[in-house]
Amino acid sequence: MARILPTFSLRKVDLLILLPVVVLVVAGLLSIFSATHNADIFIKFQKQVFWAILGVLLMVLVLFAPPRFYHYIAYLSYGVAIVLLLLVLVFGKTIGGNAGWFGIGGYGIQPSEFAKVTTVLALGRFLSDSTTSMHSFRDLTKAIGIVGLPWVLIFLQPDFGTGLIFWVIFLAMIFWAGAEMVLLLTLLSPVIISVLSVIGIWYFLIAAFVVSTLFYVMKRNLGIALMFLALNLSIGFGVQYTFSHLPEYQKNRIAVFIDPTEAPLSAGWNVIQSKVAIGSGGMTGRGYLQGSQTQLRFVPEQWTDFIFCVPAEEFGFIGGMSILLMFTLLLFRSLRIARILEFRFSSLVVIGITSLFLFHVFINIGMTLGLLPVIGIPLPFMSYGGSFFLTSMLAIGIVLHAWMTREMFE
Amino acid sequence: MEHITFGSRKRTYTMAAVIASLLAILTIRLYELQFVQFQSFRSQAETNSIRQIAKDPLRGLMYDRTGKLLVDNNPSYTLTVTPFEFEWRILPLLKQLFDIDTNVVRYRVSRAGINSFQPVKIARDLSFAQLSLLEENRTLLPGVNYTIESRRVYHLKPHLAHLLGYTKEISPGLLKSLGAYYQPGDIVGFNGIEAYYEDILRGTKGYGYHSVDSRGKVIESFDHGRADIVAEEGSDLVLTIDMDLQLYGEKILHGRRGAIVALDPTNGEVLAFVSSPDYNLSDFSGRIPVDVWSALRDDPASPMFNRCSMAAYPPGSTFKMLVAVAALQEGIIDINTRINCPGSYLLAGQEFGCHGAHGDINVVSAIEHSCNVFFYKLIFKLGFDNLQKYGHLFHIGRLTGMDISNENTGLLPSREYYDKRYGSKWNIGYLVNLGIGQGEINTTPLQMAAYTATLANGGTYYRPHAVKEIKDRVSNKTTMVDNKPERLPISREALAVIQRGMFRVVNGSGTGYAARVSGTKVAGKTGTAQNPPNPDHAWFVGYAPFEDPRIAIAVIVENSGFGGTVAAPIAGAMIRRYLFGEYAPQGEHEPTEVPDPVIPVVPLRDAAVED
Repeated sequence: MARILPTFSLRKVDLLILLPVVVLVVAGLLSIFSATHNADIFIKFQKQVFWAILGVLLMVLVLFAPPRFYHYIAYLSYGVAIVLLLLVLVFGKTIGGNAGWFGIGGYGIQPSEFAKVTTVLALGRFLSDSTTSMHSFRDLTKAIGIVGLPWVLIFLQPDFGTGLIFWVIFLAMIFWAGAEMVLLLTLLSPVIISVLSVIGIWYFLIAAFVVSTLFYVMKRNLGIALMFLALNLSIGFGVQYTFSHLPEYQKNRIAVFIDPTEAPLSAGWNVIQSKVAIGSGGMTGRGYLQGSQTQLRFVPEQWTDFIFCVPAEEFGFIGGMSILLMFTLLLFRSLRIARILEFRFSSLVVIGITSLFLFHVFINIGMTLGLLPVIGIPLPFMSYGGSFFLTSMLAIGIVLHAWMTREMFE
Repeated sequence: MEHITFGSRKRTYTMAAVIASLLAILTIRLYELQFVQFQSFRSQAETNSIRQIAKDPLRGLMYDRTGKLLVDNNPSYTLTVTPFEFEWRILPLLKQLFDIDTNVVRYRVSRAGINSFQPVKIARDLSFAQLSLLEENRTLLPGVNYTIESRRVYHLKPHLAHLLGYTKEISPGLLKSLGAYYQPGDIVGFNGIEAYYEDILRGTKGYGYHSVDSRGKVIESFDHGRADIVAEEGSDLVLTIDMDLQLYGEKILHGRRGAIVALDPTNGEVLAFVSSPDYNLSDFSGRIPVDVWSALRDDPASPMFNRCSMAAYPPGSTFKMLVAVAALQEGIIDINTRINCPGSYLLAGQEFGCHGAHGDINVVSAIEHSCNVFFYKLIFKLGFDNLQKYGHLFHIGRLTGMDISNENTGLLPSREYYDKRYGSKWNIGYLVNLGIGQGEINTTPLQMAAYTATLANGGTYYRPHAVKEIKDRVSNKTTMVDNKPERLPISREALAVIQRGMFRVVNGSGTGYAARVSGTKVAGKTGTAQNPPNPDHAWFVGYAPFEDPRIAIAVIVENSGFGGTVAAPIAGAMIRRYLFGEYAPQGEHEPTEVPDPVIPVVPLRDAAVED
């Protein structure tokens, strides 16, 4: 114990990380209370209080680990998460069309959430390895493999949204590790082109020429740039051809996914009601426990993915902006930490975690604001649910730990 | 190069720019919604809004195999309360006008918290008088309304009750176990086909959208109903039941306790499913009068009990074919093996009797004369494990897999069963009784019919099923129900020996002569299940025509005596009705030639005695 304890000193805990987290957790509990207090779903608030206590304990526990501990267990924890993902595929139970749950008593656990952090650790360790080079095709393939394995298992559950986050983390971490911009462009462009080609032919044609020009500017090789353009064009036309040959109902489903207002009363219902909730909040909001959209439950399942509507309706722009500011503080501070840390593993892990939170915040709030398609991505620290909440607290613990132990490496 | 780029200043700035721009997008959008579009959203939230109200689909119908409509829907009026608009003070008035249980209203309204503008169903089957009371008092009854639901109508009134099952309001327990689709007050299938095919019959709920004012009151249908999601009607079922045979069987068993299950041995289709006494399904459609319910519940003949698939009786001698076929297949005996029957069997000082002294007889004669001693001796050679193995092949001691929600496995005891039940205190004498289908062994009439069908068709087990086709009303597609054939590892030769024995039971000097039908050859086996201290149950299992079986049947009549005198004639009458129809010649039983007399038959030393 004696060798472990010196790690922990209250003075070394970074307050600029801790403060926004505490504020967000409290704001989350208040919001869940508001969304559930006048109905028989109040149990959800009580459960979340339990998760909050457990989450704080977990975060503190994480701080007590010796320096380099998370580097040491990176691959092991990754392996455990993979085994859990396999088990949940076989034995998992289905909640809301997604089979990725283990039931323990009245609580559901999703291994896919924990896999986010373990994948960050494993990829961080691999990329920080002195033998790993960002210019080696082999190493890049290995890195893709590290992320691809949990992604495939989660995709099979099937959970599209959670799977997506793995690639965002991947891009952020290889970018931080020094991958060439051309490589990132090559990896990103087919995704952008595919999405745009479904929206409209002009969008994707323009995008294809823009990225190809960028490619030419970076690479200065006209031949390869033209091949790149041809590849992008064929992907775009291929996706468009496939899309136009889909059965009508699948086309509708994708169209509604991209723009929920196309089906205002089924898929678009949540988004429309969420926008009404937020918009009606105005500058100062309607008052705590006074928001008619929240209290009359116009937004289905508001306490999970649509939790942001509650502060935005009841505390208005001031409430919504406060939440956004807390996330801003958290994200910039962790980026700063990543920049300062000299131990590469820690630096990479902090970047992975930063990108994880950024993605969650942007997609989730963007969805409630009617900017982005509805995919089941919870808001960190605030949405109802145990697995992602604990994962977030674990991740924060790891960031704080990395900061506290930064001078303990010889 | 790598050393320079890792987490470089440039990359930090790029990252910071990405974070800043994404958060800026959110901020701008938040500003847009809450400042620019504030007035519009605030008035939407405060004044008119849209509400989603579920619409029930029409439940699928049921037809018999010839396309006659059996189960239909009729509209009925259901009183509803919208919790959001409801005021507790009108509770006494509601009770006064509609004579409803105020506790039900209290419970349903208070637990509707999540969706308080969705009307909850309070009472079904409003009369026209009650409907007009509602209309007259509308202003006094905020939030009270009615909705039109469908309710089951049975075109053939008192029949097929146990097979069809009924529908009723979902119970709190079922609401928990069936999952999110259901709401309190919904109708679900209970028992029988209604329950087994619930997912298929019920259809999919639709949603109607209504504009409501600031107090939550529905003003009009949103967008003239164009946005509504139509409820998808449930699929129709075509049953395998032959209604003529079913009604005939119900008539025969009327006033007795018992069951008849008839199957098509070539595919497992259930032709008749008679459980007697039965009850009138129409009593269960809508509100069931309390006196009707208590009369049904307290009737000592338990009319609601499904005797075809839930009641399990010792199979008695009808079980002997199973012991015989197992011994033949395992090579323990062949057709020429003779076992001596001196008239009784002594085991550990206990005497087990027979109907007579049959002398040295082979398996065919043993079945024909239902010789107990033959099977007492044979079961020892066969042993527990083989009994288990072959019993399970014929789905004895386990479910037949029929498409009905309530089915009993019966009991085929294993060593483990006895160990558990008696510890070390049981002895081999228990096995002796199993050889003749007595003791701790129970089978349902459905199991016995499926077993007989498998013996008749040469060893293929077809899952019994009462639904032939599922007709999807939405896609207009028809799906055939799978009978999941299982080819049993039993040789046709072994089965041929058993079939010959069963033929002789009816047509030789056996106990089943009462099942003879002129114009066709019937094979079968009688059984008498001891039921001390009450009178025995009479069994008969059989099939016809012998060469090309088209019907397999199991009949049991409770506490009525011998299988040969009570159950066999019923089976014969059913077979005649099925094969020759209503106008079948009812003439004397003609003695039939015993086919293929290649196998030497030991002459009888004693008269055939009812087993």
